[in-house]
Amino acid sequence: MNTVWALSGVVIKELYRRKDFYVLLVLTGLITLAAGSANFFNDAKIVVYLKDLCLLLIWISALVIAVGTAARQIPAEREQRTIFPLLAKPVTRWQVILGKFLGCWLACGLALVVFYAFFVVVTGSREHHWPLLNYFQALWLQWIMLGVVIALVLFGSIIFSAPSANATICIVVVVGILLIGRHLNKVALQQPEPLQTLIYVVYFLIPHLEWYDVRDLIVYDHALISWWHCGLATLYGAVYVLLFLFVAWLAFRRKRLSV
Amino acid sequence: MSVILKTEKLRVEYPNRESRQGRKVALSGLDLEVNAGEVFGFLGPNGAGKTTTMNVLLGFLPPTSGTASLFGIDVRQPIARQRIGYLPENTYYYKFLTAEELLRFYARIFGLTSAEADRRIAELIQLVELGHAAKRAIKTYSKGMQQRVGLAQALINNPDLLIFDEPTSGLDPLGRMKVREIIQRLKNEGKTVFFSSHELGEVETVCDRVAIINQGELKVRGSVADLVERHQANLEKVFLDIIGYQPQPVS
Amino acid sequence: MMKASPPLVLALLLAVCFTVATSTQRHALNWSTRAQADSVLKVLLGDGRRMFANHFFTQADVTFHSGYYPSIFDRREKPSTSPMQSGHDDHDDHEAEAGHVHGEHCNHGEDAHEKEMAFLNQPRDWIERFGRHFFVTDHTHLAKGREREILPWLRLSAELDPQRVQTYTVAAFWLRTQLGKVAEAEEFLREGLRANPQSYEILFALGQVRYDHHQDVVRARNLWEVALRYWKEQESGKPEPDLSSLREITLHLARLEEAEGNWRRAIEHLKVAKMVSPQPELLQQQIEELQQKLAESP
Repeated sequence: MNTVWALSGVVIKELYRRKDFYVLLVLTGLITLAAGSANFFNDAKIVVYLKDLCLLLIWISALVIAVGTAARQIPAEREQRTIFPLLAKPVTRWQVILGKFLGCWLACGLALVVFYAFFVVVTGSREHHWPLLNYFQALWLQWIMLGVVIALVLFGSIIFSAPSANATICIVVVVGILLIGRHLNKVALQQPEPLQTLIYVVYFLIPHLEWYDVRDLIVYDHALISWWHCGLATLYGAVYVLLFLFVAWLAFRRKRLSV
Repeated sequence: MSVILKTEKLRVEYPNRESRQGRKVALSGLDLEVNAGEVFGFLGPNGAGKTTTMNVLLGFLPPTSGTASLFGIDVRQPIARQRIGYLPENTYYYKFLTAEELLRFYARIFGLTSAEADRRIAELIQLVELGHAAKRAIKTYSKGMQQRVGLAQALINNPDLLIFDEPTSGLDPLGRMKVREIIQRLKNEGKTVFFSSHELGEVETVCDRVAIINQGELKVRGSVADLVERHQANLEKVFLDIIGYQPQPVS
Repeated sequence: MMKASPPLVLALLLAVCFTVATSTQRHALNWSTRAQADSVLKVLLGDGRRMFANHFFTQADVTFHSGYYPSIFDRREKPSTSPMQSGHDDHDDHEAEAGHVHGEHCNHGEDAHEKEMAFLNQPRDWIERFGRHFFVTDHTHLAKGREREILPWLRLSAELDPQRVQTYTVAAFWLRTQLGKVAEAEEFLREGLRANPQSYEILFALGQVRYDHHQDVVRARNLWEVALRYWKEQESGKPEPDLSSLREITLHLARLEEAEGNWRRAIEHLKVAKMVSPQPELLQQQIEELQQKLAESP
């Protein structure tokens, strides 16, 4: 596990030494503050639009960071050839995959904490109430979702040689799941066979990332989700993470590496 | 004397990308033995199979047939690499890290304790003379400095076997001299060094034994002194004779 | 060959660019009207801004339902009787036909809305069942002043598509009835009127502001009469005219005239309203009552 932690430490260092995170944080901050300064019919108590906008920006930023960071990890190791001195040490390819995943996931978690801290300050300053447990739930579920996304992207990064192609495909898949994942069963019912069965199979196979998007519950001050269900969603996410990491390892294990 | 590095009937084939049919044989029945405490030079022209051999020894490539072992352990087992240090031909390190961070990262991989890592890093930074730049990002280093970081990382675990791939490639004369000094020092400390090089003068200076391969086949193996005596020529001439080089008359 | 000086070449290129730009500018203006648009949003988005305006208008409805809203997969059309959009009609019906159709009409509207918003059927599988723990499944409406939360979306919608009349009337309704912001409502309606000078809906809403909040009978009457005239000009020739607006305008005019003692004019307006009312018998009853008053008056 020491090796995995060491590898993840490098990924985290890479994230905070690159400009991506800071640019996205500043952009989110600027757009939110600009929107917050707008005057709508002389009513200073309006806050929902601000929460909605800020969370949307956080979601976009987190996805960009997660996909961008994960997509370049293994291709960059191969392209810059850092993989060779690394694998010349007692490091297995499974440890490389796991370390990269853990690093990206922890780095995204850190980024999320910073983003949500900003969100709490902005909304708290308007609403004067602090539903921190709800915010924690939203952050936790988003983090779990990012875990699944990172594992998927890592798998993609072994299949596709160009990080940009992998990132684009993964973004399309993830956004597609977020937007229509939960409706695929309804879509299936309106299709003739065998399309119906095919769509239903896809519906049951894809990771239902939309579960982890609880922005509406936060924006409109709904009650907490039961912790039991949060736990089950975490378990569901963990299964997909392991699945994607396992297939990534299977693909990576067979990759020929030559100096 | 114990054998530290061994290959038996090692064969590696690649899919032939040029002709899209058949397979290209990179190594054909390579038998090598490197004993503890010796400096072993691995020579051959470009495309002879040196890098392929190294790739197999480091676990990057699976052999098509035959075996390769380090310290008696199959090279496919990661633990076989616990006691080795590897210096690649070119500098391949995380450029956003400082030399100190890079060494600490590799120290963690080898399971060194924090105190042990501190001590080892300090020693190595001093050995490769990077004290003034240890806290600077590697991306700001010159090629020579990066090669020295490479040497330091190869030594972080105080390895018993060092595998160097063209260790002096691209270095200025002073840099080459320093690398040679370090190899000599490692030899004096009883370490085993296995390295490939095109610099035959350098090989002649530091190696106890050499092996010359050409077109994936081992052509000759023996001590430098024996080879020179047997062929009544310097190592460069010996090398050229063995690989079958025919000088063209200058018109 | 003479060696060209880089600053000279640069100056020459700049001169060529300037000449080409000035000579093609007047032609370029004819290629598209977008560049001459008066608003930045129009320049940036072109006609695509209407799509965004629609989105923000729907977003206001989503906000009104605290996130509980059908997707395009749940239904093909968005709820047509959402209280955010049609609450205004219900409310005015209630005011106009007070004491007559109140209970029946409002319940009918709410029932229809409830029915349309009951888009969450029994879950079809465990994924759907479990997923419902993570999104809004209760049909609620914003209340107690929280209706203010829909305003930014309406404001944005109006910015993007100033020709969308409903945005102004819906926003004005909530501003004046629930949030006590009559001045803001009137200002927003006037802004809408500047963009849509012949909108009978906005004129009608402005009349309501004058009548309900300023007791300004004269201006309210003027506004509603102009609204009625524009309605006739714009809608009467259409195969499917906007009858509900005609009913609103005429009923309000009838109530105004009745309150002012102009029973004959009130009867005239009620007769028009009766022709388009879903409950003509109720209006006929009111007409008869007014005719009786008229007969009894000296």
